[in-house]
Amino acid sequence: MLGYFKNAFTPRRDHADCSGCSLCLLVCPVWRQSRDVSLTPPGHFKAMQHGTSAADAAASVENCTLCMACEPVCPENIDITGIILELRRQLAAPAWMHGLQARMTEMAGRKAASAPSSSTMLLPDQALHAHPDLLARVVRLLGNNGTFPVSDDSSLDISLALEAGVAIPEQHLQRFLKLLRRLKKIIVADGLLLRHLKQWLPKADIIGLGEALSGHPAVRRGLCTTDLYVIEPRAYHSDYQRLVKHYDRLRVAHGCAFNLDLQRIAIPATARNLPQRLGLTMPNDEGQTRWVLHGRNINRIVVESLEERAVLEKVSNFPVVHLAELVDDGGHAQQT
Amino acid sequence: MEKSIDTGTMISETFQRTSLEPATPSAYSDFCHVGPDALVGIKRQQTNPPRWDGQGWQEFAAALRGCGIELRENIAARGAFATDAGGTAYGLPHGVVIARNAVQISSLLKAAQQHRVPVTVRGGGLTTEGESVAFGGVLLDMTGMSRVLHIDTDALTVRTEGGIFWHSLAEELRRFGMDYLSAPLNLTASVGGTLGVGGIDVNSPRLGCSADQALALQVVTPAGEIIECSDTQNADLFQRVILGYGQFGVITEATLKIRRYTPLRMHYFYYDSLRTAIEDMQLLNRNDASDYSGILTIMDCAVNLLVAFDSDEREAAFRANWQSHLRGYGEPGFALCMVRRYVLRPWKLPEAWYLYQRKRELFPEFRRSEYMRDGLMHDRTVVFSRAVWKFWGSKQMVIPDLATSAEKFVDAVERGNAVCRKYFPHYTLYCVGIKLRPEHKPHYEMSCIPPDAEGWAYGCEFEPMIGGQVYSRDYFQSFKNAIYDIGVDLGGSYYRFGGMMKGYIRRVFGDEVVDRHLAMKRAADPAMILNRDVIF
Repeated sequence: MLGYFKNAFTPRRDHADCSGCSLCLLVCPVWRQSRDVSLTPPGHFKAMQHGTSAADAAASVENCTLCMACEPVCPENIDITGIILELRRQLAAPAWMHGLQARMTEMAGRKAASAPSSSTMLLPDQALHAHPDLLARVVRLLGNNGTFPVSDDSSLDISLALEAGVAIPEQHLQRFLKLLRRLKKIIVADGLLLRHLKQWLPKADIIGLGEALSGHPAVRRGLCTTDLYVIEPRAYHSDYQRLVKHYDRLRVAHGCAFNLDLQRIAIPATARNLPQRLGLTMPNDEGQTRWVLHGRNINRIVVESLEERAVLEKVSNFPVVHLAELVDDGGHAQQT
Repeated sequence: MEKSIDTGTMISETFQRTSLEPATPSAYSDFCHVGPDALVGIKRQQTNPPRWDGQGWQEFAAALRGCGIELRENIAARGAFATDAGGTAYGLPHGVVIARNAVQISSLLKAAQQHRVPVTVRGGGLTTEGESVAFGGVLLDMTGMSRVLHIDTDALTVRTEGGIFWHSLAEELRRFGMDYLSAPLNLTASVGGTLGVGGIDVNSPRLGCSADQALALQVVTPAGEIIECSDTQNADLFQRVILGYGQFGVITEATLKIRRYTPLRMHYFYYDSLRTAIEDMQLLNRNDASDYSGILTIMDCAVNLLVAFDSDEREAAFRANWQSHLRGYGEPGFALCMVRRYVLRPWKLPEAWYLYQRKRELFPEFRRSEYMRDGLMHDRTVVFSRAVWKFWGSKQMVIPDLATSAEKFVDAVERGNAVCRKYFPHYTLYCVGIKLRPEHKPHYEMSCIPPDAEGWAYGCEFEPMIGGQVYSRDYFQSFKNAIYDIGVDLGGSYYRFGGMMKGYIRRVFGDEVVDRHLAMKRAADPAMILNRDVIF
């Protein structure tokens, strides 16, 4: 417990503190794809220490997938993701971002949503919104205590703005947070939003969707030793010290393999830079997906993230199921 | 003016005190941001080699582009390599090439010979003497060649590209239940770089240095030839490239021995005497009593001998035959020993507090639950390397070392320890044995392996804990020289030979050996372009 508080209050450091140890390089999907140090955190931090500007490092900033794998391994406790997002904010914004900002400004002027009837709320991501059947299944599974998805799409715009480095109008953000402050527990599907919510609402009980589902007894019963369980990297890395133990207990109890490397960092199944994530260019992450599967002796893949399900289905011959699909409609573990 | 004179006097007095007993470095930084030695008349030592003048660069760049080689000259690409892990040598290349294959490197080296452009080869950049820093010329980033090419689980070998990090190699081997034999306890050391200098692990007392695990290499010579070599094929080249500090070729591929992965059964013994701990470690090594052994100190009165095993059988044999011979304590016994020590020396209570704090921070890191299963440690390199970077790493790292024969080792460590005490309030020593292979004697010439070592060589790294303190580069250099002088005096060698240390080579090996290697270098590298200023 003491250790937790010590970590919680250790000040985050900046690029000037990078010693160049390159531990973050080992877990960086951009480096795995490009083998180009200048596109990775130690590459551009070292370059920044020697006078390069945000514009000089634009390729690196844009190519980051924001998987956040680099943060837990950094011995200097550098706020790597925070620096990348700040640099994105400094780069010239394309025209479509102005539309997003205008929409958020317009939303800010609207009447605040009514108080939720439940003490817990689920914030789905874009992919879960696009799969209403699965979303309904998740709500049923976690809804014993009154969980329901947020009714408007504020969280989606905020997620998008965070990703792209678009400034969020303060009034819009406060309107969103006002709603969440009334809750006892918030379950978040988007790992980047989860990271920020933990900073914005430090007293709130906020967990990722993967952790919520994998803590459900029926879901856990559905796991077996021949599964490869693919942890969603962003949520995992945003609360690494706690979650590394959560998933280790899951491994001990159920014997399944995980997409964890030897540093216990989640290997992302996708590696999408900003334009690819925004749909402006085609993703090219099959190499990364194949690395997750390389040398595995498994019969099934279980995912927390729908984005990763899509790419794993494309690349592998194994059945790929979402965690929520491990439980049938009656609330019982599915037989494999 | 008067104020500045007073400050200088205070600093001078502070420094004079440090030569008798270590003062806290913060005492310096409280007064002045310049290291104390810069103010008290210590002769400044020039350590960086001169920057290459750039003559012929444009023609060289055009030649590379003509071969289809991507040359990066923007500041973002060059600035990424401005320094190495040591953080005391700074230099920028004129351009960076990311290694992609042997043919590309061959073209690069041929053009470099023709235009006389220096080529600095860099893997993980873990040098501490500026060996992987380019002071002009082209920097060849070998991490671009990081693929594992073939794993043979029957023959227990792997073929890999030379730029791969040992950790990345381990990641891939583990998917097949395999592991490398021995590698530096550092995740970001590269295979090619390590084979060029040595590489020690806590299993080196049994398995030898990492360079001894190489069965065959693909090498691009300084003149651009691509040659496969081993102890039976082009053996002369193999002998020069292994432990050759990158002077005789670029390692583009390596065939290494591997083994089945096993977690470790760890034991820790604690000593209040360096000498006793070293003697016990050597006892274990001589009798093949453990699979892993090494010494890591918190202070010279708090010494940890790590002993570990790959199997229950080996562990049981150790318990039955050797454990009772060791004079170290278990954790509770050592705690009592320390209580007794500080009760009798109450004026040293700050030292006791430091020890307690260090133990409180360090020990949990070595016992993290995600790496311990059923009492066994998994992925030792990750555990140790993360701890090393977390607790010892900083933007500047100065790690001089000594390598000697078994007989001279205690003397070397005790003398080196005295030097550390003089220069820094806190430091760590890491000692390990290296099993030598008689048939590899030709590999060992003019390397980290001391010429007089038989059976085992022993290495000790002396690592001051710098943290956020400010020291001048001259202060570091004085410290390193004091350590290296011990090696000269004892007829030893150095693991981190090279870079700024090149001035020591003739003093250690003598003119005959160095001149012979220099003649071979000149024959292989007529324009002397490859890793210039590392050794020659």
